[in-house]
Amino acid sequence: MRLRRIRLSNVRRFDAPVEVAAIADGLNVLSAPNERGKSTLFDAVQALFFAPHRSRAQSVMALQPHAGGGPEVSVEIETSNGLFLIEKRWLSRPQARVMHGARLIAQADDAEAWIASLMGGDSGPTGLLWVRQGLTSLDQRDGGAIEARRDLLSSVAGEVEAMTGGRRMDAALRRCREELARYQTQTGRARADGPLAAAQKDVSALADRHTALSEQIATLEQALTRRREIRRDLAELRNPEAAQFREARLAEATAALTRAERHAEALEKATEALALSKLKLAQTSQALDAIKAAQRELAEAKRVAEEHKATRAEAETMLAEAQARLVDAERAAKTTAGAAAEAGRVLNAALRHEAARESAHRRAELIARIERAEAVRARRDEAMVRAAKGPTFKQIAQLDELAHALATARRLHTATAVKITMAHMSEGAGGVTHDGVALPEGEPVTIPAQAVLSLRGLGQLSIDPGGQGGAATDVAEAETALKSALDRLGHAHRDSAREAAQARQVAEGEVQEARATFQVLAPDGLDPLRAALAALPDALADDSLPPSVEAQAAHDVAEAARQAAVAARESALSRVALGRERAARAAAAEEGAAERLARATTSLNGPNPTAREAELAAAHSALAAELSAAEAHHAELLRDAPDLASARAARDRAQSVIEAVRAEVGKLTLELGQLDTLIDLRASEAVEEELADTEARLVAARAHLERVTFEVAVLRRLEAALDAARTQARERYFAPVMAELAPLLRLLWPEADLRFDDATLLPSTLIREGQEEGLDILSGGTQEQIALLVRLAFARMHARAGHAAPLILDDALVFTDDDRIEAMFDALHRQAADLQIIVLTCRQRAFRDLGGNRLTIAPVSGEG
Amino acid sequence: MTFRFIHTSDLHFGRRFGTFSEDLRGRLVEARHGAIARLAVVAGKHDAAHVLIAGDIFDTETPSPPVLRQALAAMAEHDAVHWWLLPGNHDSLAAESLWARVARDAPANVHPLTTAGPVPLGPGATLLPVPVTRRYPGRDLTEALDAMPSPEGSLRIGLAHGAVVGFEEDATGVIRPDRDRLAGLDYLALGDWHGAKEISPRTRYSGTPEYDRFRRSGRGSCLVVSLEGPGAPPRVAQVETGQFQWVDRRLDLLPGQETAAALQAVLPTGGRRDTLLSLRAEGRVRLPDRAALEDAAEVVAPEFGFFDLSLDSLETEFDAADLDEIDRGGALRSAAEGLRHAALDDGLADDERRLAAAALNRLYGYLRGGMA
Repeated sequence: MRLRRIRLSNVRRFDAPVEVAAIADGLNVLSAPNERGKSTLFDAVQALFFAPHRSRAQSVMALQPHAGGGPEVSVEIETSNGLFLIEKRWLSRPQARVMHGARLIAQADDAEAWIASLMGGDSGPTGLLWVRQGLTSLDQRDGGAIEARRDLLSSVAGEVEAMTGGRRMDAALRRCREELARYQTQTGRARADGPLAAAQKDVSALADRHTALSEQIATLEQALTRRREIRRDLAELRNPEAAQFREARLAEATAALTRAERHAEALEKATEALALSKLKLAQTSQALDAIKAAQRELAEAKRVAEEHKATRAEAETMLAEAQARLVDAERAAKTTAGAAAEAGRVLNAALRHEAARESAHRRAELIARIERAEAVRARRDEAMVRAAKGPTFKQIAQLDELAHALATARRLHTATAVKITMAHMSEGAGGVTHDGVALPEGEPVTIPAQAVLSLRGLGQLSIDPGGQGGAATDVAEAETALKSALDRLGHAHRDSAREAAQARQVAEGEVQEARATFQVLAPDGLDPLRAALAALPDALADDSLPPSVEAQAAHDVAEAARQAAVAARESALSRVALGRERAARAAAAEEGAAERLARATTSLNGPNPTAREAELAAAHSALAAELSAAEAHHAELLRDAPDLASARAARDRAQSVIEAVRAEVGKLTLELGQLDTLIDLRASEAVEEELADTEARLVAARAHLERVTFEVAVLRRLEAALDAARTQARERYFAPVMAELAPLLRLLWPEADLRFDDATLLPSTLIREGQEEGLDILSGGTQEQIALLVRLAFARMHARAGHAAPLILDDALVFTDDDRIEAMFDALHRQAADLQIIVLTCRQRAFRDLGGNRLTIAPVSGEG
Repeated sequence: MTFRFIHTSDLHFGRRFGTFSEDLRGRLVEARHGAIARLAVVAGKHDAAHVLIAGDIFDTETPSPPVLRQALAAMAEHDAVHWWLLPGNHDSLAAESLWARVARDAPANVHPLTTAGPVPLGPGATLLPVPVTRRYPGRDLTEALDAMPSPEGSLRIGLAHGAVVGFEEDATGVIRPDRDRLAGLDYLALGDWHGAKEISPRTRYSGTPEYDRFRRSGRGSCLVVSLEGPGAPPRVAQVETGQFQWVDRRLDLLPGQETAAALQAVLPTGGRRDTLLSLRAEGRVRLPDRAALEDAAEVVAPEFGFFDLSLDSLETEFDAADLDEIDRGGALRSAAEGLRHAALDDGLADDERRLAAAALNRLYGYLRGGMA
């Protein structure tokens, strides 16, 4: 098919008919500024081929001019069967016609069918291809902006899909998805307000209700069961035979209890009698034992009393004896003590006498000694006074030393001093003096220092020895030292000092000697001697006294006698004490024995103990017999005794059974009343009807849910099938289109070398100046160019298959730079050789170089 | 002298028909209630003084007061006949409360039969009822009939409820089929089975007077039983009493068959408003024929009280010409081919095949007659 002429009437701004005529094979260019109707032309052509004449779709409404009326479009086409004219009018008196020359081929729906078959019929790319103003169909579909960048694969794939999907496919898929959307959200979950969710909700609500009702019914059934049980139980409990039986059992048990109680009383009495009998017997045998013991005690007490009486007498005798002996001993002691005292006095006197005699010698001696000692001491003191005077030898030695130093200094002075020697003229002798002393004749005189010599008659001659001062000074110093030392000692000359020193030494020797003598006479000083002297007794003169030795002997004898007497008295005293104690003890024992005897006698009060004993013995054996009888009786009662506790328990049980029955009947009657109420209430609520109804509804709801679920599954299945088919178709067209596209793609990157991926058939990388570059992101311009090239490829494919389709470019390539436009123009020219291409553009200057057949929109002249 | 009575059972008062639409539900409930009046009319027409109801008068053990009172009131209104009510398994003696209420509220001509024992029906006829003691008694209660006494020369008419041994394959029947003979009965009136059924010349199920399910097609009925005298074979006439007709049919279809016509052929004529129809299409049809069937069903459905056409068991055949209608080629055609292939693939699970077939039908529906 090739377009030859397009005519518009009453379409948008064109209220008057306009036409684009003389559309040639190959490249046609309609270049006009904006708002001159290029897009209107394009929309009109699209509507003609795809909008049914009865359609009131937006795309059709958009064709209507402001003035209203029915837009009309007609297109003249040429096919292998010749020229045809297709006419359509929409909205007002809509119609469609297909003319072959003057012959009407088809009209109305037939015309639509004719057009549809012309457009390809099958689901492949339509017989008319176009690229719209800067927008790829891919972007239109996704609602995305042109700026959204795509990689080459998705761009080409998207374009191919847009070309191959087919509108019926789109419609079917859209409807399927719309229906599916009623049931589920985009993420595949049940839509909250959709039928699927509603069905699910119904099922779960009914299931809940079913459960609740079943529970209510179960409650009712339990109540019924319980009521039957209670009725049965009550019937049993109220059974008169059973009641009689229970009463009889109680009477019987009560009688048995009474019997048992009586027996127990008898037994108790017997037990008491037995105890009493035992007590009496015990008392009697106790009395018997007592009387026997008392008799034995009396005899014993008597014997003991007599024994103690004897012992006491004996003790008293012994005491008296001891006391007599003590009197003697005391007397003897007194006597011996007097004698011993006298002897002692004599002895003392004798001793004193002897001592006095002895002390007279001693006195004399002591006096002499004291006198001598006092004399020696005086001598010593005098010597000591002397010894304290005069220098010591040490001081003398120092003097000597000083004197020696002086001598040395003098000699030295003399040796070094200026010496003058005067040789007098005869008459002049003595005329020269020094210090008033005439200088000796011919004898050197030492001038130790400045000296003034008086020269008689001549004057005074001063001599200064010069540098001789040191020695002179030394001499003077030594003299001074010596003199001061002597002064300190209080002597004028060393000789006197030495004499004094010697005197001192002598005195010291005297002191030494006196001291030694005193030491011998009074080693401890005089005071002890004087004390010893004072201590000496004065002598007594008594010659009557015996010598002390005798007195001592007499005294010793007297003392021994005294001591013996004292010991004897002591011994007598102890004996008396012993005797007294023994007597006291014997008296106490006797007293005790007497008491015991009295007690024994008292305990046996009664005239005739033996008779009493016999009486008691008789009573005892009588009681023993009585006891064994009581025991036998008791044992018998015990053996025959019924169990009182059991009898009571039996009676209690019989009674409690009756009471329990009464209580149970009361309880059950109460419960029965409650159950009756509950059952009456529930039974009239028609719960089971409700349940049956709910059950039926639940089944229906489940079936409905199943149907809805199935419906959703069907729609999903269909969607999947359509999706898969579309993908498959795209892939089927992909290879052939790519085969056509490959050489065209090179146009986009003429300077680069393209590498194609074996799997996708798409260029994967391009190598520009030896550098590999990826093709991941494409610019808007490149996408646009790919859209164009894909359509070119399709056009070629159609052409090869024998049904060419015109390609309309409506302001395509708006994003394309000049270089690329050149490349595109080349491509268009190359393809235009066997295709029909119509380019609508407002870019007059840019497309001026495109060449091709120039078209214009021109008013229809005349009939048209 | 002929003794004549009406034998019926399974009135199931209180059933609610929850699966049907609201208005139909009301009509069905009303029709059940109306069965009393219709039974009374039949009794009057045949000069029968007694209506023996063999169990399941009530659907549940706890009917609501209106259901119970209105049923008793309706029976009281028709006081020319005596109504004998036997507890069945739905309203067994276990429903103590129910039977206490019936005993309390029953009018003079209504007789609840709550004990097994002879009841004189009139001169020369003794009713021998065996009430069902609990919902599933698990034993043959009619055994009591063997020893149940009746006056000499009196007709022995047994009245019981339950399944007969070996009668229903799935049911665990307990009643001996020869009970009439063992117990020397002139007639044994049974309830439980909703359709009229003869077990032996003297033993029958009356069926319900008003159907309540699709289990079998037809209308409810009752039996008019005439007994000439002891030992004589009973004469039984079945009289239709049902208001609603319940129709359960199969529609067998073949490829190429005119489906709309086939549908028309199985539709009952007349009284469609009181007809409940459940159709199950079976067999195989071609794609357009199936669509035609659906279209036809859609047209006729509103005429009926209830109409359901199940296509679940109907397989669709897809031939190339049908698929052409979807598309002659391209992606749509290949999608259709893929679905067809899956629908016919024996290697796939049934569910998968059903889904694919349904999806293809849907696609056909979308594209049939051109695109909108």
